[in-house]
Amino acid sequence: MVSCPDFRLQAVVRRVHTESQAVTLVDDTQRQSVVLSRNEAAMRMGVEIGMKTVQALARCPALQIERPSAPAEIAASRLLLETSLSWVPGIEETEAGMLTLDLSTEPEEARVDSAKRIRGRLYDAGLEVVIGLGETPSLARIAASAARQKGESIWQLVPERRLDLLDGLTLEVAEVGAELKERLSLWGIQTPGGFARLPREAVAARLGEEGVELWLKLTGQMRRPLRFAKLEELFEEHEDFDYEVCDREPLLFVVNRFLDQLIVRVARTGRAATAVHVLLTFANGVCHARRLALPEPALDHEILFHLVSGHLDSLEWKAPVESLRLRFEPSDTVASQRLLFGAGLRNRFQFEDTMKRLRRLVGSERVGSPRMRNTHRPGAFELVPLPSEIETASERGGPPVTGFTLCRWQGRVRAEVRWKSGQPERVASRPVSGIVIRAAGPWHCGGDWWHEGKQWRRREWDVELSGQGVFRLVESEAECFLEGRYD
Amino acid sequence: MTGEEKIAALAAIRDQLGSRIRTGSDLLVVQETRERRAATGLSGLNEHLGGGLPKGHLTEIISERGPCGGGGLVMAAMLSRVRQEQQYVMLFDVGGSFTAESFPPEDLEALLWVGCASPFESLEALDIASRDENFSLFLLDWRNCLRRDWSGLKSSLWYRILGQLREREVAAVLFASEAVTSVAKQKLQVRIPVTCGRLDEERSRLWEELAFSAMQMENGQRREGHKERRQAG
Repeated sequence: MVSCPDFRLQAVVRRVHTESQAVTLVDDTQRQSVVLSRNEAAMRMGVEIGMKTVQALARCPALQIERPSAPAEIAASRLLLETSLSWVPGIEETEAGMLTLDLSTEPEEARVDSAKRIRGRLYDAGLEVVIGLGETPSLARIAASAARQKGESIWQLVPERRLDLLDGLTLEVAEVGAELKERLSLWGIQTPGGFARLPREAVAARLGEEGVELWLKLTGQMRRPLRFAKLEELFEEHEDFDYEVCDREPLLFVVNRFLDQLIVRVARTGRAATAVHVLLTFANGVCHARRLALPEPALDHEILFHLVSGHLDSLEWKAPVESLRLRFEPSDTVASQRLLFGAGLRNRFQFEDTMKRLRRLVGSERVGSPRMRNTHRPGAFELVPLPSEIETASERGGPPVTGFTLCRWQGRVRAEVRWKSGQPERVASRPVSGIVIRAAGPWHCGGDWWHEGKQWRRREWDVELSGQGVFRLVESEAECFLEGRYD
Repeated sequence: MTGEEKIAALAAIRDQLGSRIRTGSDLLVVQETRERRAATGLSGLNEHLGGGLPKGHLTEIISERGPCGGGGLVMAAMLSRVRQEQQYVMLFDVGGSFTAESFPPEDLEALLWVGCASPFESLEALDIASRDENFSLFLLDWRNCLRRDWSGLKSSLWYRILGQLREREVAAVLFASEAVTSVAKQKLQVRIPVTCGRLDEERSRLWEELAFSAMQMENGQRREGHKERRQAG
């Protein structure tokens, strides 16, 4: 568990910057202002929690008075969470300033070192935290309280020595209720270790549900699933403009700043962005929201700026912008493993950009990698996205590729055909006409008879016209047409 | 030995060795030529092009309408070659002449097809695509187009595309039934008799029989080219 003592105060005034200055957080919402929290220096001067602010000032005239700030607390919570994400991905925000981390993926021997590293990073960012390590969320919470009580930064409740270590703590650390604590002290039990040694049945018989719950907590038998924080809502920046933004230039300036901040924050967690969400609110009440997906996870400022600015450029503004919100969808940097002997797209971002522009020019249904469809219908092919990797060409199996390619003509080129013994003798059409000197065919084909109204049937010939080349002649639906020329 | 004597001696050695001796600049030219060519998969065509398609330039392959053709065969060979090299090729198909069944399915894996309504649209598309470093070859299929379809195209567009091809060192090939533009570095006419009897012949044999010849620009076209260059300048 990562716990930030006096979180509300630390959110407003970073403790590491005010170690020698007495600072207190006061509640002004009551009839009389009272002290909510104070730092070590203020405590040494006799400032206590719950004391009236006037009284605190009398004891410490140099006392710096601060008020709680919700935005500062949100910012501090994000900092805490983002920094902890570089340790493990599964994190629960248990309380404000208190995170429970799932360390099951971390080797035991590396946990203390990782904890030190995270604590150091948070300290550099201005937050002082204590870290408690335990088998279960409840024991980790006890360990974090123990660390605070003992004035240590990291405290581990080692499973093999759990009862001995619990013997060295007070019952307050285990958050025992006042009534239960009094009863236990009457029984002569002063430590959590002493309580955990009691038999479960006896505890249940004498102390009821509350006693059993505490016993399960201390013996490491109370396990609960963690409610992991949603990362997609974490990496977000927004600004409500005090003025109406009518131009793209100032908006891009803000976008640039947001991207800088978000990139640093996401990079700190060892991740990259897979998509950027843009939300714009216009003065006429219209909202524009769009998810801009990236072809592969990236954290390159230029790429991300190009993505967002390209979208903003294509947007039609009917009213000034009132607010802007940018959010990163984080992902692991290594999303896929490339083929060992394969080759692929060198720059997927550039490729996606090219595709976007080509689709805009010719239409999305006219760009793609062609694939033969599972039909005998001539000319039927479908378009699929171009594969991002090309495997090494395998030995070509099956029959060899034969003949010329067909250069298909657009539309149906109607042809008048003179027949002789069922074979074309002369063909007359707009582009070509002439005597058939050789013909191959007919080849009958058809299909889709199982689909009502979609069935097709045709007869084909390859006809060689005198001095003009070879063409494909088709007879279908009682008319003849030339489909194309062999080239 | 004086300077003049040295030069004379070197000239004598050069005469004796003939073409076996090469200067540094000769070697540089050879190296540059080798590096800036993309093999086509057709030995006959490579020979005519001095090793392959010149990178950063446009090459025209002309396959006339008539009893002899071969443009489609050249396209199939280029596609196959690019696929073997595990690179990507983009085809700008004007007039829907592309037929998927004419190409082996594995060769289509490396192909990005762009269907264009007119030569102008295909050039605009090439203008966009030629900035992309992912493609090693661009093919323009204008075999179904007539002169009137492209006669109004501005030369500045051609030159802009050429500039981009040069920058990326990518080759582009224009397939047409007649010579199109003077900006093409080389224009080659391909000829192979197309007959019914050869429709079942193995394609590899047909590739070997393709005959290429360099096309001479007509006077009118050359004048047009000079005019285009002046305008672009």
